[in-house]
Amino acid sequence: MLGGADKLVASTDQARKQAWLRKLDPGIERVPAAFNAAGEVNLETLIGARPDVVLMAYGGALPKWLDAVDSYRIPVVMMPNKSLADLETTARMTGEVLGERESRTAAEYVRYFDENIRRVTQVTGLLKKRELVRVLHTASAGILSVDGLDTVIDDWIRVAGGINVADVVGNARPVTLEQVAAWNPDVIIVGTAPNAQNRQAILDDPRWRQIKAVKAGKVYANPSGAYLWDRHSAEAALQVLWAAKLLHPARFADLDMAKETRLFYARFFRHELTDAEFASIMSATAP
Amino acid sequence: MKRSPAVLVALPLGLLFASLFVGRFQVAPVDVIHILLAQLFPGAHDWPAPVETIVLQIRLPRALMAMCIGAGLSISGAAYQGVFRNPLVSTDILGVTAASGFGAALAILLSRSAFELQLIAFAFGLAGVALTYLLARVYQTTPVLMLVLSGVVVAAFFSALLSGAKYVADPESKLPAITYWLLGSLNGASLRGLATIVPPIVAGSVGLLLVRWRLNLLAMGDEEARSLGVRTEWLKGIVIVCTTLITAAAVSVCGIVGWVGLVIPHVGRMLVGPDHRLLLPATLSIGASYLLFIDDIARSATAGEIPLGILTALVGAPFFGYLLRKTHGTWQ
Repeated sequence: MLGGADKLVASTDQARKQAWLRKLDPGIERVPAAFNAAGEVNLETLIGARPDVVLMAYGGALPKWLDAVDSYRIPVVMMPNKSLADLETTARMTGEVLGERESRTAAEYVRYFDENIRRVTQVTGLLKKRELVRVLHTASAGILSVDGLDTVIDDWIRVAGGINVADVVGNARPVTLEQVAAWNPDVIIVGTAPNAQNRQAILDDPRWRQIKAVKAGKVYANPSGAYLWDRHSAEAALQVLWAAKLLHPARFADLDMAKETRLFYARFFRHELTDAEFASIMSATAP
Repeated sequence: MKRSPAVLVALPLGLLFASLFVGRFQVAPVDVIHILLAQLFPGAHDWPAPVETIVLQIRLPRALMAMCIGAGLSISGAAYQGVFRNPLVSTDILGVTAASGFGAALAILLSRSAFELQLIAFAFGLAGVALTYLLARVYQTTPVLMLVLSGVVVAAFFSALLSGAKYVADPESKLPAITYWLLGSLNGASLRGLATIVPPIVAGSVGLLLVRWRLNLLAMGDEEARSLGVRTEWLKGIVIVCTTLITAAAVSVCGIVGWVGLVIPHVGRMLVGPDHRLLLPATLSIGASYLLFIDDIARSATAGEIPLGILTALVGAPFFGYLLRKTHGTWQ
């Protein structure tokens, strides 16, 4: 996105599996995966790739490979990912690491991100407390888990004029169905891959039927593109728009998600989205 | 120690009734009673609609499931400890837990529904034990040592596969789901899930109850039991089939709940002695009550769900330690 794709010498298993990312940057398949899905490193692959710097998301725990990488004098840059501001910091830091041109792109992205947040909050900021929509964001359904406080998810829910009903701390916390009923959210956003399928599972389950969101049919699948929109992705900038329109459709009637998404992909991913591709992002399926 | 059988029946039923009143959702006790009565005598409804869903579709199936699984794991553990003549044996000795665990992880990787996950985990559990049994078979017999060692082999193999599944799992969505699943939870309990685990658990438990007096003979050793006319291979086979049905069904729906199958049989022995004719029914009741009690804590103590596997040991271990000190291990 920042224009540094050719500078990427090693990646993760997970990045290579992301269907949309592969489409936007086919080169990702030729980049060796030095890190596996569990976040562990193959040191020889990493050293063999001769990186000048290792970028990582820092969630509060230092990885055990840190010392080993350190001993090869490869600097490790840790970037935060617990709020929207953290994501902007991540973009800015990545730009600085990559170079001047990339820094400018990062700054442009952060300006765009800020503009989207401002566009949303100038409407949602005026909402009265009773107008805020009570939202639940699910992380996984096999074992029901939800995203709580101190997360990016909590942050964009707040920006979009909602209240995260899950008053537990952290991502993907397991909860009981009865607790969900006690929270009784107005809207449920399903962030459990495969999102559309898990959304249907919730609608079909008689135990969910009395929950307000289900009764009103307000259960939605979260979009997913180059990465999951709802988590630490570049598309978090679009997520705030999407969520705002979802929670307050009347107030954001002039907001056209198809247009915004197309502009974003063209501007930052240099990719012209077709209608089918836009639909696939919205339904979180592979292109 | 003599206890009247009435206590063994009343304890789990009383707890079941009490469990319907416990939970995170505010339900007036009076509404719970109204809803229960309305099932018997249909009449006017004057409680809020969600309350009925909470009591009948969420609390009740979950409580019944906890009882079934607690009872099943406990009676299986007691039967295994008899067959293997070893008080340290638990229900996962033949590899059923590891195999089911891998089946579940696979189902999560493939994004199957909760119901499909249950079926896959159950099938893998049965397959794992079948593998152990075939591996242990020498000259038409299955010596206890061979069974145990084969169980170790199969469990190790499936544990490795399970780790492999975790290794390739997506850390954002799949890995936490697998991890929480393995920690054990009745979070997914539903009437449909209940309907699928009740037949194997009831069939297995009835099977074990029917052969329970023969277990006393087997506990003296294969040779002695044979000389008394017991067809030991048959008996072992029946016990293994029954416990496997129970354990695979239990693990398939609630993940790995350790400790219950190991300790409840000992608690049973302290209360009613080592005679399997009494011990097996007693473990059914104690196990059902124990897991129900633990699950009530798991689902209502905090806003998040506490994994069952943590609580069964956290509450059970000190309790067992206390019993151990009190009896000095003399119930064996």
